[in-house]
Amino acid sequence: MKLTTQIASVILVCCTFSCDSMREVSIYEPSKSISAFEEFPYKTLFTNSEENGIWGVKNNSCKEVSFETTNNFTGKDHLHIKWDASKCNYIALGLKWSNYKGKNLKPIIKSTAIELHVRIDSGALSNVPMFFVLVDYAGNQCRANINYLNLEGGRIDTEWRRIRIPFHAFNYEKNGVNMGNIKELRIEFQRKGDVHIDNIVIVPHEHNYKKTKETFTKVFDSHPIQLGSGKEYWWGINTKYSSSLQFGSSFKNESVIIELDKSKKVPWNTFGFSPFQWMRVDISSIYMTSALTFKLKSTELPKIQTILFSYKGKKRKLEKILNESYYVDKGNGIYQAYLPLKSLIGYNEFEWDALKEIRFKMLKGTKVEIGDFQLIEFRGNPKKPTEWKGI
Amino acid sequence: MLYTLSTYSQVSKVEVTTNALGNFELKRNGVPYYIKGAGAKDHFDLLVKSGANSIRIWSTNNNALLDSAHHHGLTVSLGLHVRPERSGMDYNDEYAVKGQIEYLKNEVLKYKDHPALLVWGIGNEVDLRYSNFKVWETIEILAKFIKEVDPNHPTMTVIAGIDPSKAFYIKKYCPSIDILGLNVYGSIENAGANLRKFNWDKPYIVSEWGVNGPFEANTTSWKAKIEPPNGIKADQRQRRYLELIEKDKERCLGSYCFLWGQKQESTATWHGMFLSNGNPTEAVDVMQYCWTGKWPQSRAPSIRNISLNNLGWRKNHMLAPSAQSTLTIELQKYNNKEVIVEYLLFPEAFSNKIGGDIQKSPDPIKFKIVKQSDTELTFISPKKKGAYRLFAYVKNYKGQSSVANIPFLVE
Repeated sequence: MKLTTQIASVILVCCTFSCDSMREVSIYEPSKSISAFEEFPYKTLFTNSEENGIWGVKNNSCKEVSFETTNNFTGKDHLHIKWDASKCNYIALGLKWSNYKGKNLKPIIKSTAIELHVRIDSGALSNVPMFFVLVDYAGNQCRANINYLNLEGGRIDTEWRRIRIPFHAFNYEKNGVNMGNIKELRIEFQRKGDVHIDNIVIVPHEHNYKKTKETFTKVFDSHPIQLGSGKEYWWGINTKYSSSLQFGSSFKNESVIIELDKSKKVPWNTFGFSPFQWMRVDISSIYMTSALTFKLKSTELPKIQTILFSYKGKKRKLEKILNESYYVDKGNGIYQAYLPLKSLIGYNEFEWDALKEIRFKMLKGTKVEIGDFQLIEFRGNPKKPTEWKGI
Repeated sequence: MLYTLSTYSQVSKVEVTTNALGNFELKRNGVPYYIKGAGAKDHFDLLVKSGANSIRIWSTNNNALLDSAHHHGLTVSLGLHVRPERSGMDYNDEYAVKGQIEYLKNEVLKYKDHPALLVWGIGNEVDLRYSNFKVWETIEILAKFIKEVDPNHPTMTVIAGIDPSKAFYIKKYCPSIDILGLNVYGSIENAGANLRKFNWDKPYIVSEWGVNGPFEANTTSWKAKIEPPNGIKADQRQRRYLELIEKDKERCLGSYCFLWGQKQESTATWHGMFLSNGNPTEAVDVMQYCWTGKWPQSRAPSIRNISLNNLGWRKNHMLAPSAQSTLTIELQKYNNKEVIVEYLLFPEAFSNKIGGDIQKSPDPIKFKIVKQSDTELTFISPKKKGAYRLFAYVKNYKGQSSVANIPFLVE
């Protein structure tokens, strides 16, 4: 018998005798998966001073850093820092975190957190003014602070308390931080404090909180737009204090009757409304071709100032006193006003994506009813608003 | 100390009611309580002596202040520090929002039975340069929680001046808010009327008031804020209290003057009624007059005017390097036979911080004095070009003080 045949026979015999002790294995069973956390190689930031690099430990008049060997949470020593930021602009420690290796946090952002343990020497605190900063290799930084939801027991006291800072809580998107290439973690300290810190590590952590994108903005991109619908969005009409302004009913939509009490030293002569429910009104795509129009009922044209406000920007106010060239006489004491937005001085500096309020001030006049406010399409000469054929 | 008081039986019942005239009124343990208050963290003895009955503090991070206030017979409008958007808080971030709410709920439980507590101040100026109106949801959640766990103290939210949109949002989204707190400086002049125009139909407290703030001040051509002399500021305080705050009996539950202490806000002397060395200024005398109707026996001297090289404090002052110049002050000494005058030079402290955000004070710099008297200083301007501010301090033998300054540019 050849040697190879003899070996094959031995293997066959061995297999035959050991078959009843063998586990049945499906050829389709998947191999055990390894989580992103388990695969992440840089899980330890600080457990003791000998093994983990830290910069910023040199003492100065604003901070005192020491590695204490008693009452550790883990390892041979822990970090003790006292600080007072009243005379320094910046106090921080930097964790070299695996000797500044570029770390890809992207796979673990949503499933892990930085965990540390903290205690103080006496008393109890609900918060410590320390902030966590991730720095990428381009120098971009994102921050997170201690959140009550991840502070063990809701307090920091003489016991070692666990704190977790989920990676998802860092504002990396806003600050353009490359989470695929993180260099270090910094801990920044503000105001004044004295804490012991130990065992800074990465741990699995579920973070089930969302970030919404509400902007409280109403976008309008076509005409006409009915403005100020709903009396609750108006101000200036409060008959308990003044009868000079009252809601009227002569027009289809909201209107105000103005009848000034001339006996008053300070006249109650101003009212206003939100174009749309006190939200930011975005008419940035149509303001160049828009005019504010409203109806006016009066025996003679009053002197009225119109003021537009924006929620933001350097120029937040545009104003115009309307003279007769802005009105079309419709007969029977009814006038229609047209105010092209381009006729307002400074209109190009105004932030039209955040229109806040339209306000009117009656400067001179007798009894007037004003209402039915709309934004309409206007493509005429802003200096001669009533001459455009389109109105 | 907070817990050692063990004064749960002394918890005050504070409520907002209307009196027979239909005016809003605060009642503490059944007795009408008009707030004569100050934003204060110390000098409580003098505060009580001056006729005040309450202090306002902005956060819960110092429980000793409540104990100390109680010890002095003062009540406290206690602030819950709701992080403003301008500090980096994102009200679209559910995690940050919920964490803050749970933390502040815990603070409410900690302090709700403190005998000094008068009113909860939920947030301070969260509206200042904000863009996310969702912050009002947080204010309401906290106010509603307080209604559930603390029926003894009304809720207030404090805003940086009133406008129609803020009045709308608070009215609509924060129904559990009982009182509107108004931080109003220049805008105090129309605050009462505006509240009524903007449909706010509940009472209000003037939660911060004083002189016009640096943010409302004129500036020099090099953007240094122009601060009026203390004497003028004291007159402004007096008029505002007597003619605006005290006269609104219908809606106003009282006020907290700002600031019974000292802070850096553009200058070290703008809002503070005390100097950095702890000396009281004539603003303290004014508040005693406002609260009691009587001036103190010993009054602080008061600087009424200040000029540099005969040019008034409202103007731009440009000096050549190392040039001789003369600063002149006009002084009202009141009943002080003698006063001590000191002049200090500082580099200009430009800051882009807003609201009550912390600013750092500069250190004084040495300069050459040629001669000085109680009302005049002849000095040599700095050799180095730049923006400076020269301060004149006057005090009596008790330390009661006044101050004025002029910014100047060496070019």
